[in-house]
Amino acid sequence: MPDRRSESKTSRRVHVIARDKGWAIKKEGLSKASRIHQNKEAAVSSARTLRRRGHDVIIHRKDGSIERWEKARR
Amino acid sequence: MNSPVPDFSKNVFINCPFDSEYIPLLRPLLFTVLYLGYIPRITLERFDSGEQRIQKVCDLVQVSKFSIHDLSRMRARRKSETFRMNMPFELGIDIGCRLFKEGETRKKVCLILEKKSYDYQRSLSDMSGVDVRPHGDEPERVIREVRNWFVTNELGTSSSAAKIWEDFNEFMADFYQRREKDGFKDADLEMMPVPEYVIFVREWLARRASYQEPLSLKRAR
Repeated sequence: MPDRRSESKTSRRVHVIARDKGWAIKKEGLSKASRIHQNKEAAVSSARTLRRRGHDVIIHRKDGSIERWEKARR
Repeated sequence: MNSPVPDFSKNVFINCPFDSEYIPLLRPLLFTVLYLGYIPRITLERFDSGEQRIQKVCDLVQVSKFSIHDLSRMRARRKSETFRMNMPFELGIDIGCRLFKEGETRKKVCLILEKKSYDYQRSLSDMSGVDVRPHGDEPERVIREVRNWFVTNELGTSSSAAKIWEDFNEFMADFYQRREKDGFKDADLEMMPVPEYVIFVREWLARRASYQEPLSLKRAR
């Protein structure tokens, strides 16, 4: 099992998560998700802008499982 | 006189289907129970071909103060499918245990989940007037209903349902990454034995707690 403490220092991850009224972007380490997008495409598109800043983008299905994991562009 | 059962007040009997169609709801349900500090008790936790399932159910019902019954899958959904009566049957055992057995089982509390409000009444009219909570087949709503039920009955307060849902999604990423590294394929993840999943959640929560503790201590100083 990777050590989560060291993992959080070295990797930055952003999650695209289903919410009751749309799709949210949640950066790991922040206490709350950012604003809710009406549809998944808009949320994914917004999250992808963070890939260039060194974030992995993890796109979840509605049930929380992983649909796609896009590695950061470093 | 019955001797007290260890962990009785932390045990939660989970009465739901364990097939692949229910996995999207079962995972967040088990995660929430563990997240809030309780112990999910399921019939799959031990596998002994020589043991009858009904005996396992009765054993788990008796040692659990809490129980969660999801009746959303009892109705046949296809033409040739029969009704699935295990869930209402086990709910009956649980209620019977509370009513007829002496001792700490009188303190038992249960949460009944359904897909839509009042769906169950068409086939279980004996339960009319009982508070049944709808989850709409939505994993986030399962988390909210389970969280709110524990808060109402015992905890008083806890992390919000939205926070638990976000943490569950982060957990799923770690779960996926770890299993992929270990050579598991998607099918292995879908069919992963429930006890193995529970162990993984426990380890993740423990690691997360040890990671968060220094931060809270820091703030306190």
